[in-house]
Amino acid sequence: MSEKGGKGFKSSLKSSYGPRESKYTFLQDSDEQIQGSSAKGGKGSKARKSTLSKESQPLELKTDKELPENAKCLMDCEAFEILQGIKEQMAVLSEDPSLKLPVSFDRGLEYVKYGRCYMNPQSVRQILEPLKKHGVSESEMCVIANVCPESIDEVFAFVPSMKGRKDKISEPLEEALMKLSKLKRSA
Amino acid sequence: MFIKVKLPWNVMIPAEAMDPNGLMIQRAVLIRLLDAFASKKATKDLGYFIALKNLEEIGEGRIRETTGEIVFPVVFSGITFKMFKGEIVHGVVRQVHKSGVFLRCGPCENVYLSQYKMPDYDYVVQGNPLFMNQNMSRIQIGSTVRFIVLDIQWKEAEKEFIALASLEGNNLGPF
Repeated sequence: MSEKGGKGFKSSLKSSYGPRESKYTFLQDSDEQIQGSSAKGGKGSKARKSTLSKESQPLELKTDKELPENAKCLMDCEAFEILQGIKEQMAVLSEDPSLKLPVSFDRGLEYVKYGRCYMNPQSVRQILEPLKKHGVSESEMCVIANVCPESIDEVFAFVPSMKGRKDKISEPLEEALMKLSKLKRSA
Repeated sequence: MFIKVKLPWNVMIPAEAMDPNGLMIQRAVLIRLLDAFASKKATKDLGYFIALKNLEEIGEGRIRETTGEIVFPVVFSGITFKMFKGEIVHGVVRQVHKSGVFLRCGPCENVYLSQYKMPDYDYVVQGNPLFMNQNMSRIQIGSTVRFIVLDIQWKEAEKEFIALASLEGNNLGPF
């Protein structure tokens, strides 16, 4: 009887929960979504499933597309040279209270003072500039100079947009990294 | 990432600030320009305004009939700082919470690194709260951490950016 009831119960359960079963299965496969997206509803979860079922795509730098036309990326070592020069001039001019530095100047200088690893930005640019012939963009060049990579694997890990050109770029990149390693400032 | 940008602006000089002999125009323009640049904290497109590099040219001044001010069109180059999605940058930890840490990256004070984006790091309290991994590598107040920028958002009212960070990837973390 219980079986019957059980069966009946089962069948009624099945029919009432039929459409939801597939939903439950779907959620189980992608339970990671629930943790990360509790604020959002179930809408769009199908789209998210397709992106999470493969490994999540590495973030790619798209600076060149986002920068306005009259703007150019700078390497941290180049920025340091410029900002340090301005600071030295301001030390002379600071007696004039009408001359002001922007609020963010000190923080900007602090950022590059610590982070840069090359002392001679002109040499770094000379070494990296030839990579442009192989399709490396200005912003990719700046990121390479800023992260001070020790190997080409590190370069491809930090700049995933270059992975597609691995075959063409590996050799000139190795050469450039070898020259850059001689320029690194001592800790 | 630092950006060098060439910008055309209009600099207004009140009539009373003009030298009667008209000799100190460049100085007056430069001071006003520096003042205007310094008070502009940040913009969505260019990021935080860091420094004025060169005053490239000063155009012909035009008198504003209503106010008597003289408007000089100028072109100058400036340095700004902006984080981009996917960029590898570094920041200094300024607050530690159980759910994650807040970092300062250059002029941006609001970079959030969630605990879920710190693989293998656990929250511990050793006197001060910090995150630590099995290799005893610590993320605590004052630590410098290399991270990837997951996303940035511009806050128009505060003229500031907020950013999300992640340590998911090789060679990311405290250094």
